[in-house]
Amino acid sequence: MNYNANTGGRPPFGRKVKRVSDVNAMGYTPSPYDQGGNVNVQQNLYPNLEPEQPFQQGENVSLDPQMNKHQILAFPGSAPYDAQTNFPSAPKAPQPQGFPGYNAQPQYPNINPMGLSSPNLSMLGQPIVQDMAMQYGQQLAGAGKTILKKEVERFVPVSKLKYYFAVDTKYVLSKLMLLFFPFTHKDWSVKYEQDGPVQPRYEINAPDLYIPTMAYVTYVLAAGLVLGMQQRFSPEQIGILASSALAWCIVELAVYSSTLYIMQVETTLRTLDLLAYAGYKYVGTIFSIFVSLVGGSTGYYSCLIYTNLALAFFLVRSLKVQVLSETNVQETSYYGAQQTSAGHKRRLYFLLFVAAVQPFLSWWLSYHLLPLESASSASKAV
Amino acid sequence: MAFTLWNLFEATLLCLNAICVLNEERFLSKVGWSARSANVQGFGEQPSAKAQVFNLIHSIRTVVRIPLIFLNILTIAFKLILG
Repeated sequence: MNYNANTGGRPPFGRKVKRVSDVNAMGYTPSPYDQGGNVNVQQNLYPNLEPEQPFQQGENVSLDPQMNKHQILAFPGSAPYDAQTNFPSAPKAPQPQGFPGYNAQPQYPNINPMGLSSPNLSMLGQPIVQDMAMQYGQQLAGAGKTILKKEVERFVPVSKLKYYFAVDTKYVLSKLMLLFFPFTHKDWSVKYEQDGPVQPRYEINAPDLYIPTMAYVTYVLAAGLVLGMQQRFSPEQIGILASSALAWCIVELAVYSSTLYIMQVETTLRTLDLLAYAGYKYVGTIFSIFVSLVGGSTGYYSCLIYTNLALAFFLVRSLKVQVLSETNVQETSYYGAQQTSAGHKRRLYFLLFVAAVQPFLSWWLSYHLLPLESASSASKAV
Repeated sequence: MAFTLWNLFEATLLCLNAICVLNEERFLSKVGWSARSANVQGFGEQPSAKAQVFNLIHSIRTVVRIPLIFLNILTIAFKLILG
């Protein structure tokens, strides 16, 4: 933004050294708000620092370099601002050029920041002063907003989250197809931008959080549906199911993160990536639940086995790119070269661990939803 | 099977309490599980898995000690009142 280092030091409207009692005589500048229309308010913050070239070409050419020098010397912090505010259609243009004496005066505020020796309250009525006050207020509000956003950012990484939800329909459909049938996909690498992976919208191999979130919600609803069809439903079940699945997700994430830390697997995977990959199993779980409606136990188990096989394949292939490819990077460093073989083994174990935990968890989350034939097992349910 | 968030919270609280109760000087050093005594390797080598675990425990203890007091008080009050 237009950050000026001198903002705090001087009074907000102290540079107004128009020691003229009659405002109209010096060609009072109409406020942009009076004129209406599309106005860039930021012009008015430094009404006297405004490069007054437009109306100095005629008479006061000799004063020009002097004035610019004064401007540049006195406020070095605002020099970039001056460069920006070269509006050829400045509202200062209406100032008549027949007042050379007046044009010389605005130099003084640059040297003398405390130009306003005796605060004259009638100045508050002038529109330029009001504009400056409004501008100052807007600056304060803007600063407050940025501070608020920064504080929120510390607790909830909003900007990072936005990356994971940048998806579109094509991506979702192709990703779902990939989850069910990953065997023919050839290229699993993720394209990178300057500092992070490309958005999921443009790169099918990038993880996203949209599918896991939707799948989680759908899982809760599908479980409720299945329970209802077996006359086992009550509204509390929804809450219990939801919090149970969420608790397992948290445990899983904690286990993955601590495993990565303890085994010192250096990877570009972030926690949210792990959350995304852990959430993909809900898709298979939903599918298995729906199949269990039609095919009973056998249908459920066969579907579960197939989807988990596909998911394991998908995970191993995806994570291999992100976890195992670090070995290529580290062969150049002296310290790192010793641990590539051991590190490789550790990473492999981690991958297999992740891939093995998923089927178990997806079974654990859904086996109690199966239609129960016997009365004895009904007592063990939920 | 009702593994709810509240159960998770309780379990976490108990585990954290267990980690914080183990005194570093009096007990862990004797057993050899301290975070400082295990650092016998050089500067550039990667610490072993054991050292990583001890570092993790040490840092958890440092970070969590104070909030844990409040969480414990809250949980005790909650359980007293609501059973």
